[in-house]
Amino acid sequence: MAVRLRAPGFYRAGWMMLGAIIFAAGLTWAVRASTGHSTYQHFLDANAILTVSLFAAPLAFLVGIGGFDYWFDWAIGRPTRPEDHSGHGAYSWKDYFRINTDHKVIGVQYTVTSFFFLLVGGLIAMLMRAQLAQPGSQFVDANTFNGLFSVHASLLIFLFIIPVFAGLANFVLPLMIGAPDMAFPRLNALSYWLLPIAGLMMLGSFFAPGGAFADGWTAYAPLSDNAPIGQTFFSVAVQFAGASSIMTALNFLVTIITMRAPGMSFFRLPLLVWANFATSLLVVIATPFIAGSQFMILLDRALGFNFFHAAKGGDVLMYQHVFWFYSHPAVYIMMLPGFGIISEILAVKARKPIFGYRMMAFSLLAIVALGFTVWAHHMFTSGMAAWIRIPMAITTAIIAVPTGIKIFSWLATLWRGVLHLDTPMLFALGFLTTFTLGGISGVMLAMVPFDIHVSATYFIVAHIHYVLFGGSLMTIFAGVYYWFPKMTGRMFDERLGKWHFWSTFIFFNLTFGPMHILGLQGMPRRVATYANQFADLNLFISIASFGLGLSTLVFLYNMVTSWRGGPRAVANPWRGLTLEWQVSSPPPVFNFDRVPTVVGGPYEYGVPGAVHGIFAPPPKPATVGAGSSSSGASGE
Amino acid sequence: MEAASIAHSPAHGDHHGPPPANRSSRVETQLLGMLLFIISEVMVFGAFFTAYFFIRVAKGAPWPAPGDHLPVEVAGVNTAILVSSSLTIHWAQTSIKNGNRFGLKAGMLTTFLLGCTFLFIQINEYANIGFAPQDNAQATVFYSLTGLHGAHVFIGLCLLLIVTIRSFRGHYSPQEHRGVEVPGIYWHFVDVMWLVVYSTVYIL
Repeated sequence: MAVRLRAPGFYRAGWMMLGAIIFAAGLTWAVRASTGHSTYQHFLDANAILTVSLFAAPLAFLVGIGGFDYWFDWAIGRPTRPEDHSGHGAYSWKDYFRINTDHKVIGVQYTVTSFFFLLVGGLIAMLMRAQLAQPGSQFVDANTFNGLFSVHASLLIFLFIIPVFAGLANFVLPLMIGAPDMAFPRLNALSYWLLPIAGLMMLGSFFAPGGAFADGWTAYAPLSDNAPIGQTFFSVAVQFAGASSIMTALNFLVTIITMRAPGMSFFRLPLLVWANFATSLLVVIATPFIAGSQFMILLDRALGFNFFHAAKGGDVLMYQHVFWFYSHPAVYIMMLPGFGIISEILAVKARKPIFGYRMMAFSLLAIVALGFTVWAHHMFTSGMAAWIRIPMAITTAIIAVPTGIKIFSWLATLWRGVLHLDTPMLFALGFLTTFTLGGISGVMLAMVPFDIHVSATYFIVAHIHYVLFGGSLMTIFAGVYYWFPKMTGRMFDERLGKWHFWSTFIFFNLTFGPMHILGLQGMPRRVATYANQFADLNLFISIASFGLGLSTLVFLYNMVTSWRGGPRAVANPWRGLTLEWQVSSPPPVFNFDRVPTVVGGPYEYGVPGAVHGIFAPPPKPATVGAGSSSSGASGE
Repeated sequence: MEAASIAHSPAHGDHHGPPPANRSSRVETQLLGMLLFIISEVMVFGAFFTAYFFIRVAKGAPWPAPGDHLPVEVAGVNTAILVSSSLTIHWAQTSIKNGNRFGLKAGMLTTFLLGCTFLFIQINEYANIGFAPQDNAQATVFYSLTGLHGAHVFIGLCLLLIVTIRSFRGHYSPQEHRGVEVPGIYWHFVDVMWLVVYSTVYIL
């Protein structure tokens, strides 16, 4: 037992978290006592302890589980343990529940965790639709409802869409570029373990005194300044989720720049790699802004700073600028990796080279650059200087151009291709349809008068779900089906996959399509009840949304049973050219015996004799020894 | 690879590890990682400078708030201390490149102590400045910008402490001194950031 308590793992994490909470209590007590607060009063007011614990306990958990062990030894100058790769690879399910430096294990950890939060967020949505099925209060009171939609949005944005893309890319990106792992495997492991912390913290806010954070995922000041303690859970959770994304993005960028296989020039990279390159740039540059905005909220709440207290000279509008300067690029963080997935699937399934490869890559970079110039279009009705709306409306319309380039390039890729209409392809085609609809309503919203008319109505809800559900989630489903054989070594049930697609596609449109009409009629969003005139459509939406919820169960059943007992997958079931399909399914622990050499483009489908990568004969033993020693340096 | 762990290679000659990754860029991974991290850090400062911009420039609030006084001279001396620490860490880096272990140790120790002095003076300034962040928005911005920088000095000092301990334990060599280079870049960043903070918050 004593060994268990000292060795990295959940036992050590447990007592360290306990210690951290005691430390937090002691620290708050000491600081308060030194500034003259009464001890007695302090014990009644647990908010300060809670705030400090929200930082201290997760950090203690990370230390306890072993996220910092290697670095700690290194920092105090101890001889570092030789890299024996014992923290690498998964040989039983238990290996998924510890610090693991294998990018493939981390990819699965990421993906499964994110899907857990998708289910939780989806269940919350079901509860919201049950509440909204009829006017008046059905199940929850208005404040709880505010908490529900806030946690729903925060979970699905910060704990599902952003990390699930990181998870899929974590698995396939090093394989695609011919790298044995990511550039910083230990940082990669750490970045994963920040994620469950952030998610559980957001869910935990339901148990906080005063209820969950209830001012939307946007947490606008000054409302969030004065909200109950649940708001602090959001602000701190965002720090952890944000730190996780920054670490992963940094890792992706360094991996893509420094670890490509010989011959893998930038214009031979698969578009998924390009997409993650662009996304990672956005994450590294933009995410610190939401960290900053939430630090300001925290400082206002915990220490009485005056960032957003108008009476003391603070500026409320500043919150929205800082927040949206992250959160608009964030919508591209939630979309660009999906673009990459679609590019992979369409080329393979249409058996054609991707149309306009270079324009596809450049349009990603154009979106990165333009993504930083449009943030104030979320603020047309906020009361900022009116003239800012005009340039923002123009840039918003312009950013539709690179996206349009991608849509038309995909259509041109499909043109006269030999379409294989299996599940990944169906989801890719479904994405093209629904995302284009969402994109069109986005361009409508770029027009200032129209935006003012529908601002904060269900039209916005419809738009965001068409781009995030019809856009991002469709690409995620497509990607999960597409790489499922590679990740698990099993084939999924194609018939259930088709059922899943059609039920998702139909019920999705039945659920979110009518919301456009509700919004145009003026039904406000974020309300627990509504006027009787909206009753019929809302009942229809609620019923359709339950169908949408049930369709997810088909997916779950398919994934679980196929992973347990599906037929064994061959190495390359889709006849793809990219490198991840040239290794076994699932890939070997160290990806390649020897790094392949890339001799051609990744999408030369239908071109006779086209080769993307070649594998040299297995290396001599001496070379292997040199290899293991040089890879040991990667984390130092 | 660091000196202490280099001995393991022969023992692991038979171990099947990953294949050597291809180096597709001349930039070192650690260096590139640190540069990207610094971009991220610059953006954190950017968020707080946005607050500064909105409160001081866009709203036109008097700076500092009426009745408050910023100790420009003391902070100026502090600036000189921090800037000189950038020079001493450069001395340490040059020394190890030339194989001068004494220069490495002395340079790192001086840099560390200069950084601690800076932080001490900064905390002392907080204690004696006569206004609190709770007083008004200008004070909030002053404390958050200098405090954010102070937090970065603290992180930088932790890195410097690691490097100092390791140099006293005999690590690093003229061939292998990445562990001094990369924290050094961070320390230079902290320095440059202070010049920006000092000139916007104190002087302008």
